[in-house]
Amino acid sequence: MPSAIRGTLIECDPAIRTLILMMDVGSNDLILEELDETHLLVDSNKVNYIRNELNSRLSKNLFNPDEEEQ
Amino acid sequence: MKREADYGTDDSDPEADVDSLSEGSDYEAPPPPKIRLHVSKPERQPEDFSIGQADFSYLPLKPDHVNRPLWIFPDGSGRIILEFFSPLAEQAQDFLITIAEPVSRPEHIHEYKLTPYSLYAAVSVGLETEDIISVLNRLSKVPVPKPTADLIRACTASYGKVKLVLKHNRYFVESAYPDILQMMLRDEEIAKLRITDVQQQASGDKLPALQIAGFKPQSQINDAQPQLDQNGSNLNDPANSMDLVDANGNIVGLNPMDEGDNDDDDAVYAFEIASSSVEAVKKRSQEIDYPVLEEYDFRNDVVNPDLEIDLRPSTQIRPYQERSLSKMFGNGRARSGIIVLPCGAGKTLVGITAACTIRKSCIVLCTSSVSVMQWRQQFLQWSTIQPEEISVFTSESKEKFAGEAGIVVSTYTMVANTGNRSHDSQKMMDFLTSREWGFIILDEVHVVPAAMFRRVVTTIAAHTKLGLTATLVREDDKIDDLNFLIGPKLYEANWMDLANKGHIAKVQCAEVWCSMTGEFYQEYLLADRVRKMLLPIMNPTKFQACQFLLDYHEKRGDKIIVFSDNVYALKAYALKLGKPFIYGSTPQAERMQILKNFQYNDAVNTIFLSKVGDTSIDLPEATCLIQISSHFGSRRQEAQRLGRILRAKRRNDEGFNAFFYSLVSKDTMEMHYSTKRQAFLVDQGYTFKVITHLQGMENLPNLAYGTLSERKELLQLILLQNEDAAGIEFGDDAAADADRNHSRAKRMKGSLASLAGGEDMAYVEYNKNKNKELRKHNPLINKLYYKKKR
Repeated sequence: MPSAIRGTLIECDPAIRTLILMMDVGSNDLILEELDETHLLVDSNKVNYIRNELNSRLSKNLFNPDEEEQ
Repeated sequence: MKREADYGTDDSDPEADVDSLSEGSDYEAPPPPKIRLHVSKPERQPEDFSIGQADFSYLPLKPDHVNRPLWIFPDGSGRIILEFFSPLAEQAQDFLITIAEPVSRPEHIHEYKLTPYSLYAAVSVGLETEDIISVLNRLSKVPVPKPTADLIRACTASYGKVKLVLKHNRYFVESAYPDILQMMLRDEEIAKLRITDVQQQASGDKLPALQIAGFKPQSQINDAQPQLDQNGSNLNDPANSMDLVDANGNIVGLNPMDEGDNDDDDAVYAFEIASSSVEAVKKRSQEIDYPVLEEYDFRNDVVNPDLEIDLRPSTQIRPYQERSLSKMFGNGRARSGIIVLPCGAGKTLVGITAACTIRKSCIVLCTSSVSVMQWRQQFLQWSTIQPEEISVFTSESKEKFAGEAGIVVSTYTMVANTGNRSHDSQKMMDFLTSREWGFIILDEVHVVPAAMFRRVVTTIAAHTKLGLTATLVREDDKIDDLNFLIGPKLYEANWMDLANKGHIAKVQCAEVWCSMTGEFYQEYLLADRVRKMLLPIMNPTKFQACQFLLDYHEKRGDKIIVFSDNVYALKAYALKLGKPFIYGSTPQAERMQILKNFQYNDAVNTIFLSKVGDTSIDLPEATCLIQISSHFGSRRQEAQRLGRILRAKRRNDEGFNAFFYSLVSKDTMEMHYSTKRQAFLVDQGYTFKVITHLQGMENLPNLAYGTLSERKELLQLILLQNEDAAGIEFGDDAAADADRNHSRAKRMKGSLASLAGGEDMAYVEYNKNKNKELRKHNPLINKLYYKKKR
């Protein structure tokens, strides 16, 4: 009986792809398949986690004048 | 912030206003409230506009509020919002510029802030407290709130009442309000500095040389008859001793009504101070909330020789230049202060016109020797001065001008240098410090606050100081010092206004987002702090974007300047894209050649510049500016770079636009720095477009780093670079020198391999064997006579 894992296709920049790869390094359970420079197949259950992680990492780069002055 | 803010109408009665003194009444006016206002920079405070904080909907609107353009904040912060689409906006703007600092002036809604300094400036051009409040009330949608009215009263009550006047080489602190002088003299520090010696001058006599501040016997003072100096009538008469105080520091003649000869209100009281204590008095008086206004009565100054200089008839002054000068020469005397005009708007001409008005000896200080030559050339071009009357003091030439009066142009570093000087240099400095100058022009005044340059202002004795700059922002917050070193801000122009009227170029600003390639980004995430700065700059996608933009604009016939303050990147880009480049180490001759080619040769349309281009180079007009490296977010840097293209002569053509691109690598720290730098420009009114994708970039022939292998090679190359490559270059302008002096210690990080020479370094022995130095004999002798012994 074949077992199947549900996957989600992610299309992104090479840079984000790299970020997701780095997130995967520790746990090895996010990415199912690396398709090419701009596409990845990831585990469907982990999509939210990936989204949150990405948001937090990327927001560090943004300039927010509200936080800046404090 | 209280919700139930108490606001009154504008006709609230002035209780015991200090400025409603009348002679003969009680002089013990209550001292004004010492409001130690939080002098913050007029910048947007972040928490102020967050949701709910600026909700003032409880304020009543006037019935015709639709016609009025101003909103005034009732929380005493002094902030004012101007609706620029209102029909009254122009006049309101003129008024607001005079009394407040602009914070942000984009297209439709302007923000201003009332600060003590801005009110000080308003008073120094002659506005009265109640006038200010009544005009504000006329323009505002809500009645002027009480905290704001209080703020205005508090600030203006003490300002503008005391003047520091230089007459006949003596400094006098004068005022029309004797009780204010009395209050100042009660302060110990000022009382110490006062010269109490009264010398009754016979009329027409030349005054003796400046007195040293010190205590002298005062036998003759006690029964000195007070001699009142009528303002405007016999100022020419040096016979009036201004000193009305007796040994106890009380002002004699407090009741002139008794003497019966004082009918007019122009009575002026004063006390004298020594020239060496001027700065101390200024500082102290500012601390006790009575800053002195400095004014120079140049028309009645008979001691300093006149300089025959006028503007040439062909010279045309633009309206905003006129306005700024009228603020300076408001009441017939010359005021010291700072004028802020955008780059390329004609600041030099403003300085020259002021010099032609004052017509006394003048000294001009610039940031570099290139600017020195530019100023000299402009003086010769716009005014009737003769070449031998204007001389230059730089490391290459130290000449004095012929004749009694003249103009000297020099740099801050030459004048502020404290080290040993050459003989010629010392002679020149003595010449500068020994005489009195009518006028000193300080170009690019935002450099002056550094401690080094304060010396300049104190060593050179000038009656009037004019500071010129385009950017009154400085990251280290020493701007406040300027207000007391030089004077208040007299005028600040609106960039958008000038652009719309065609005086400076209209600029389209854009930020181009370049994505990092996969492998670069990976290295970026893993990199240490140093490499994190270099990798985003060397992003291959950025190379490609730069190449694409260069290609596009060259085809349009634009002249393009590419800025990078990282020298490694500069060279890499310029070499890869095949364009000439100039940085600190480029020899002067080569620089000139490149610049000439850029200006006149049609084949050379692009040059790459490093930080030297910010100030030291006389740049011809460029019409497009691309910025590939954005270190440390200095707003001043970006504003100045923009100034380079604002000079463009073609700006008056219909529909002409200059372009400014800032290339940033997505998802890196560059985004953060870039936004910070734009803050200043956005406040001036420029909007930044964002370009996420350059159409057609992939199809460019000869695309740099088009293949993966090329990119990997580039990556390897960068990873091998050591820390120096990521640093910024020291410019050779005055500001850099100031910084350089402070940071002698340099810390470097490196691997042991690099220290041992194993990383691209040739191993050379620099330190000779100490033993050999201890030898007593000459090595030749040693060899011939002593070696034999072995």
